[in-house]
Amino acid sequence: MFIIVAGAGKVGYHLARALVADHEVLVIEQDPDRVDFVAAELGTDVIMLGDACDAATMELAGMERADLAVATTGDDEDNLTFCQVSKARYDVPRTVARINNPQNETLFKQLGIDSTVSATNLILGHIEQELPWRGLIPLMTLTGLDMEIVEIRVPREAVTVGKQVKQLLLPQGALLCLVISEGTPRLPTPETMIHADDILLAVASIESEEALRSALTEPPS
Amino acid sequence: MINVFSRHEKSKEEPLAFKSLLVPVDGSEASLMAVEFACNIARRGRGKVHVVHVIEVRRALRLDADLTDEAQRGEEILTQAEMAARRQDYEVDGELLQARDAGHAIVDEAIERNADLIVIGVPYRRPFGEFELSRVPTQVMKTAPCEVVLLRMPAE
Amino acid sequence: MGCGRLGAELAVMLEADGHEIAILDVDKYAFGHLPPEFKGQKVLGDGTDQDTLRRAGAERADAFVAATRGDNRNALAAQVAKHVFQIKRVGSVIFDPIREEVYRGLGMRTINPTKLEAGLLRESIEREDE
Repeated sequence: MFIIVAGAGKVGYHLARALVADHEVLVIEQDPDRVDFVAAELGTDVIMLGDACDAATMELAGMERADLAVATTGDDEDNLTFCQVSKARYDVPRTVARINNPQNETLFKQLGIDSTVSATNLILGHIEQELPWRGLIPLMTLTGLDMEIVEIRVPREAVTVGKQVKQLLLPQGALLCLVISEGTPRLPTPETMIHADDILLAVASIESEEALRSALTEPPS
Repeated sequence: MINVFSRHEKSKEEPLAFKSLLVPVDGSEASLMAVEFACNIARRGRGKVHVVHVIEVRRALRLDADLTDEAQRGEEILTQAEMAARRQDYEVDGELLQARDAGHAIVDEAIERNADLIVIGVPYRRPFGEFELSRVPTQVMKTAPCEVVLLRMPAE
Repeated sequence: MGCGRLGAELAVMLEADGHEIAILDVDKYAFGHLPPEFKGQKVLGDGTDQDTLRRAGAERADAFVAATRGDNRNALAAQVAKHVFQIKRVGSVIFDPIREEVYRGLGMRTINPTKLEAGLLRESIEREDE
C-alpha cells in the first residue's frame, strides 16, 4: 500500500517506522528540524517538508496514488481537513484520523472518516473497566458499522433484576449477546433470568447506547 | 570526522590523483563542461570517470514507474556526455537512475562507486536577479562524503 | 467564531441588522476590535470545542459563521455547528482556494476572501477612470 501520513510527531514517526518495512510510506511534516530527524532515521524518501493540509503539498506527495491517508497531528481541525480533502479531492479509499478531543469522535465518523483513534477514549475505556461499576463500558468499536460491543453491569436496584430476557425492552439496534452470572458466561435465551451484578455483553448502534444503558440499569421509576 | 566509507585512498603525495570521479549530467552545457573537466583531472591518476543522469520521479508515480520519454531523453544526455569525454580523448561509463531526489541519488551513487571526487557543472543563472546555487548542487555539497568541485559557468 | 477585523466587522454589521450576536475568540485582546457600543455576548474560548459553543448559545443559535484566519479551524467549527448543534445557517471563510472548493463541494456555505479581493482589485485596476 502507499500510505501518506500527516505529521511526524511521535505518533506519525513511530507509525511510519512500523509501516515502512512492508509499505510505501510518506510522512508530511512542517517543522524542518523534525524532517531532518526523520530523514536521518528512516531515509529521505519517507519524509517531506510541507503543510499536509495544503492541496499543492498533497499534489506533490502523490495523494492521487495513495491507498490510505492517516492524520496524526495534535490538532483535530488539521486531521479533519487532511482526511476530508484527501477523500473529497483525491478519492483516497480510506482515511484514519487521530482524535485529540474525544467529543469529536462521533462527528468525524459522521463526516466520513473511516477510522478514528482517540487515545483519550481508549484510556478512558481501560479506566472504566477497572472501576467497580459504572453502567455501560464500550469495549470495542466495529468500524464501518457505527456499532460497538459494550459491557453493562446490572446494579441491584435495576428494574431488570429478576426479569427474563424476553421481558426486557431493548432499544432498536441493540442485541444482547452474552449474560455472565457469577463468572459463568451463558448465551441468553428468552427465558434467561437477569440477576443483580450480572455482566451483560451487547452489540449496539452508537446512537442507541444511552437508551440501552437506561433500559438495563435504571431503577424502576 | 570518521571515514566510514572505504574509498580509493589518494596518496598524500598525489592529492590530485583521483581514482573514481562521478559527474552528474542533466543535458546542460555546464554539465557537459564538467565531464570534460573531470576527464582532464582523471587523466593524472588514470582514474575512472562515471557519468550519471537522475530521473526524478514525482510521488504521484511509483518509483519504478515506466518513464519511456524521460528514459529516452536520459539516454540522449548520457550519449552527449560520452561524446564530451571523447573530445578529451577519454572514456566514461554512464548510468541512468530513477529516484525521488536527484541530490540524494547522486550522493548514494558516489558512495556506491567509492568516488573520491564529484564534479558538478553549474549554469550561471539568476532566477530572481541574483545568482543562486540550485537545489541539487546544494544538496550534494551538503552531504557528499568526498571532495566536490563546482564548475560554475561564466556570467554572460 | 473569530474576533479579528473580519469577525468584528461582521458582528457589528449583523447587530446593526437587528440580530442577537455571540462572538468567540481564543484571545481576549481580540475583542478590542469591537466598538464600545457592541451589545452582543463576548465568549473567550475555542469555537471548535463543543462545550465552548454551548456556552455561547449554540443550542439556540440560528446561524453560525466561522471567521478566523485558520481554514482548518473554520471548517471544523462549521461542521460541528451544522452536525452537532443542527444550526440551520452555517457559513465559513476559507482562504485557500482549493480547500474552499472542496468544502463547497461537501455542501458548506463558504466565502473565499482571496479570490474575492483579487477580483475586486482586478476590477479596480482595469477600470479606465478613477
